[in-house]
Amino acid sequence: MTAADPVKRAKPGLRGLLGTSLGKTAPRMRIVAAGFFCLYVGIGARLVVIGFKPDPTTMRRASGESIAASRPDVLDRNGEILATDVKTMSVFAEPRRLIDKDEATELLTAVLPNVDARELRDRLASRKGFVWVKREVTPKQRDEVFHLGLPGVGLVPENKRVYPNGPAAAHVLGYVNIDNAGIAGIEKYIDGQGLADLHDAGFSLTPEELKPISLSLDIKATHAVRDELEKGVAHFKAKAGAAAIMDVNTGEVIALASLPDYDPNKPPDMRDQNFINRMNVGVYEMGSTFKALTIAMALDSGKVNLNSRLDARGALSFGRFRIHDYHAQNRALTVPEVFTYSSNIGTARMALGQGVERHKAFLRKMGQLTRMRTELPESAEPIVPKNWGELNTMTIAFGHGLAVAPLQAMMAVSALMNGGYLMAPTFLKRSEEEARKDSVQVVKPETSEAMRYLMRLNAEIGTAKKVNVNGYYVGGKTGTAEKVIGGHYSKTRLFTTFMAVAPSDKPKYLFLTIMDEPQGLPETGGYATAAYNSGQVTAQIIERVGPLLGLPPRFDPPTQPFPLLARLGYGMANSPAHGGGGH
Amino acid sequence: MLRFLNVVAILALVGSGFYAYSIKYQTMLRAEQINKMKREAKSERDAIAVLRAEWAFMTRPERVQDLADKYLDLKPLAVTQIATAQSLPEKPERIDSIGRKLDALGLGGAATTPAAVEAPTTPKGKPR
Repeated sequence: MTAADPVKRAKPGLRGLLGTSLGKTAPRMRIVAAGFFCLYVGIGARLVVIGFKPDPTTMRRASGESIAASRPDVLDRNGEILATDVKTMSVFAEPRRLIDKDEATELLTAVLPNVDARELRDRLASRKGFVWVKREVTPKQRDEVFHLGLPGVGLVPENKRVYPNGPAAAHVLGYVNIDNAGIAGIEKYIDGQGLADLHDAGFSLTPEELKPISLSLDIKATHAVRDELEKGVAHFKAKAGAAAIMDVNTGEVIALASLPDYDPNKPPDMRDQNFINRMNVGVYEMGSTFKALTIAMALDSGKVNLNSRLDARGALSFGRFRIHDYHAQNRALTVPEVFTYSSNIGTARMALGQGVERHKAFLRKMGQLTRMRTELPESAEPIVPKNWGELNTMTIAFGHGLAVAPLQAMMAVSALMNGGYLMAPTFLKRSEEEARKDSVQVVKPETSEAMRYLMRLNAEIGTAKKVNVNGYYVGGKTGTAEKVIGGHYSKTRLFTTFMAVAPSDKPKYLFLTIMDEPQGLPETGGYATAAYNSGQVTAQIIERVGPLLGLPPRFDPPTQPFPLLARLGYGMANSPAHGGGGH
Repeated sequence: MLRFLNVVAILALVGSGFYAYSIKYQTMLRAEQINKMKREAKSERDAIAVLRAEWAFMTRPERVQDLADKYLDLKPLAVTQIATAQSLPEKPERIDSIGRKLDALGLGGAATTPAAVEAPTTPKGKPR
């Protein structure tokens, strides 16, 4: 109308054309125009407001898609999938919108045979707004439910966690519940890293947004370890067993198996103690493998060197207790002989020479007296004697009287092997530099080298000959602990351990096998000590995983495997042993 | 004149209306296409996830071991089967056996083809 005025003025002749009494009605027209203007501005503004608002329907859809939250993939160190999410459909019902509940029950149970009809009827009769009919149905069932076309019955996509490798690495991975929340193992650790918080805050994360988690495990090696262990446990009729491989330079756990185990796709009732992870939840008296720690303590203090002699001429008496040797020599033994004959008396004397306090302090420094923490939420407190006297020090020196998690013992022994750096074991991929950064130097490099020499010597001429796998320059230590049955050590129920390092000159991997109550067999002469069972299994593991892990075999023995010892004047350490002192 | 202007204005109005509607429907079509593509991409991604899981399931070491035991004559790799690059023998000298035979028959010099002319230099091979 504002445009009408200039036209009116410019061409008076057109007045008749444009309306007769526009001039008179102009004020009214303006009011009407102003009214419409306001109306349209209002509508426009409202459109802008609505345009900026997020779409409520897509919101609902997005939130509905993460009922069972998505989780990041878990990969092994080579990128193989250990755990991943797949989409499945779940059937739900809205009881308030159901027209005929009996008909719905009948039709749904016809399609979903493993749903209990009575229970479903009760659920549908409830006054709730939402009930599950069946979680995770097959694609065929999904289509059938869809074709039923029941009002008030719907399908919603959910994530289902799958573990393609089944029981291999099950104890490390843990498992999830039906809502895809981590219950144990690495799965629980992932939730603890903030994933659960994000889900609770209403963020629906898609798998593409989640970075996969790379574990330190090698699934092929893990399978090989589990396979060999399973054969060993069956062969020696042991109650249980566990085995692990650790990279001594990074503290990474390369493989871990604990039997009996379970399939994480169908987790069993985990209150059953039989399914625990024996490597880091079980605590055991480690037996003679602990002697390595005692000897390292004695060597590191400087009070004892490789040429020192220890009196092992008869049983060591303390009060009414007498400590015997299993392979008694009844003479003074040098330090290497104490190790290769696995002399209880010799190691007890070494620990006594250090005294109770220093022994305790050393074991604490090695992380053996406190709970060890890894990424796995499950852990166990070591069982430490309450009143630690001289007798305790003597028995703990050869691995009785202090119960630790086997992985904890591995941590200490790998520190003795790798040049003296104690690093917390990890189940996540980690580089050598990162591991070194957080490590503590616990023994001198010379002590570490002496321990490697002793381990190697023990595999050449001592109790660990079974593990001398050709080509890998393996060193090892047996350990046989008598189990405490009814407050007494039992002579027949044994707990055997075997620790091996390969290669001994430039250590890379530490192997540990433990077995609970293996039986003596005719071919072992009825013996059930560690060398015959755990040692045998460790040898098979090394032989099998050596090529898998890319450990190059060598057939000529290294020319100077222990250079620091040579400089200290222990030339004998670098010459191949010729069966001296063997048995 | 004004009538003409009015007609033009009405035509412009109708034209812009058509244009606006066609834009609107095109947008709707495109939006639908985008949604469809998104859905397809999502179902593809889900399918890939399932296939990856299946691949991992089918190639799990446990199964491969069982199949290998059943169908293959292979044995686990022994340490003695691994050799280093240094332990490989020297490359043998290449021998031109045909040329030798020709020489023995006294025909060595008779050949005049370019290949035969070069033949005496080939047996030497590369010195290692």
